[in-house]
Amino acid sequence: MPADDPGVPVRGPSRGTPRVLLWVAAALLVGRVATGVYERRHVESHMLPGSIQPADRVAWRPIASAEAEARESHRPILYDFTAEWCPPCQKMKREVFSDPSSADRINRMFVPVRVLDRTREEGKNAPEVERLFTHFNVDAFPTLVVVRPDGGEPVVMSGYGGREETLRRLIEAGVEARSGMGAGDPMGSRPGARRK
Amino acid sequence: MNPTLIVASIRQRLASPLRMAVLAALVGLPLLPVAFAPAPGLWFLGDSMGIALVVAAGAIGPDVSAGVLQILFARPVRRSEYVLSRWCALASGSALVRLAQIAVATLILAARGSAPASHDLVSLVVGNALTPIGIAAVLVMLSSLAPGLGDLGLYLLGNLAGLVLEFWGRVAGRSFLERAGDEVRRFLTPDVDISPILNGGDVPWFAIVSYLSTVTLCLAVAVVVMNRKELSYASG
Repeated sequence: MPADDPGVPVRGPSRGTPRVLLWVAAALLVGRVATGVYERRHVESHMLPGSIQPADRVAWRPIASAEAEARESHRPILYDFTAEWCPPCQKMKREVFSDPSSADRINRMFVPVRVLDRTREEGKNAPEVERLFTHFNVDAFPTLVVVRPDGGEPVVMSGYGGREETLRRLIEAGVEARSGMGAGDPMGSRPGARRK
Repeated sequence: MNPTLIVASIRQRLASPLRMAVLAALVGLPLLPVAFAPAPGLWFLGDSMGIALVVAAGAIGPDVSAGVLQILFARPVRRSEYVLSRWCALASGSALVRLAQIAVATLILAARGSAPASHDLVSLVVGNALTPIGIAAVLVMLSSLAPGLGDLGLYLLGNLAGLVLEFWGRVAGRSFLERAGDEVRRFLTPDVDISPILNGGDVPWFAIVSYLSTVTLCLAVAVVVMNRKELSYASG
């Protein structure tokens, strides 16, 4: 008789089915669909109309607390200068920040801070956002800036050159920042959008 | 669950020299950069998938192929008990190995004056304990479907299919394909990132419920498949 013949008896001395397990599995499956639908609607309600973006998996920190956290945890700060209207920024968000393994690596290595430009939408930025744009002289999107916990020379990466390259450069910059060796612009020029 | 079966499963893993050698390499090699790199950090440890796969691969299949189960089920042991004990042994074994690796790495970092922040450590420990437990459940299910180390083949094939779907969806601009590929890979490697909770963000309910759903679903499928399996000395 074949091993998985549907005709074989499913009851026997060793064949007890734990019904609790089946019920819990079924209930969690329903819960999975329900929370999935809820989160999707929740995310969509925070997105631009018509855009399709998976959830961002990087645990972005508030600008105000980032420096203190970086000093305490001895991790460099990663500033992501971005804007809603910038296509390369959305591509980077989709390919890097929404990818579980990339996001996990970023969360472990850096204190990530998103600096969202709202000048096109609201005419101006919050003072702390504008201060960072001025301080790092950012005039294009996306721009990633890695800053050592104790200050020092920041590593500035302008534009988006693909997931693998971005990750590689980020890790290099993170390791350099941790070892105290600042660098210039390891990304060079990549596709991006001008700020103004 | 049956403590005797759990202990027997762990002993069976420890008795495999090849498995132990690969495991030692997976545990030991990432510790080298932690100990000697100029800028050490826990990220050198990578993820826990490798350890989980080495410990949990061949969860049930080899026992079916070797005729062990025919003898085992001649005793008063339920098949569900066997499946759940097996999962418990492999999940706790791989999680403990991973946590031991993190503990050693943390001690090395502390000795080098770069102790990780408690916040990072909590996040890493929880995530790295949950992932092997989830992968063990997936491999138990796959192992109930395939003989020998076929579960490992199915696991790798499934991941490859997920990657292809994601890539295809990205190239063709079809988000549902991309999402499907992502879901396949998330199902095969269940994990929960608790850093949003630690950072005062929203509780990731979907991730938590998905993780629990995957684990229970895999175990339920494994039990049902094992219950339907006709074991004879000619099978496997």
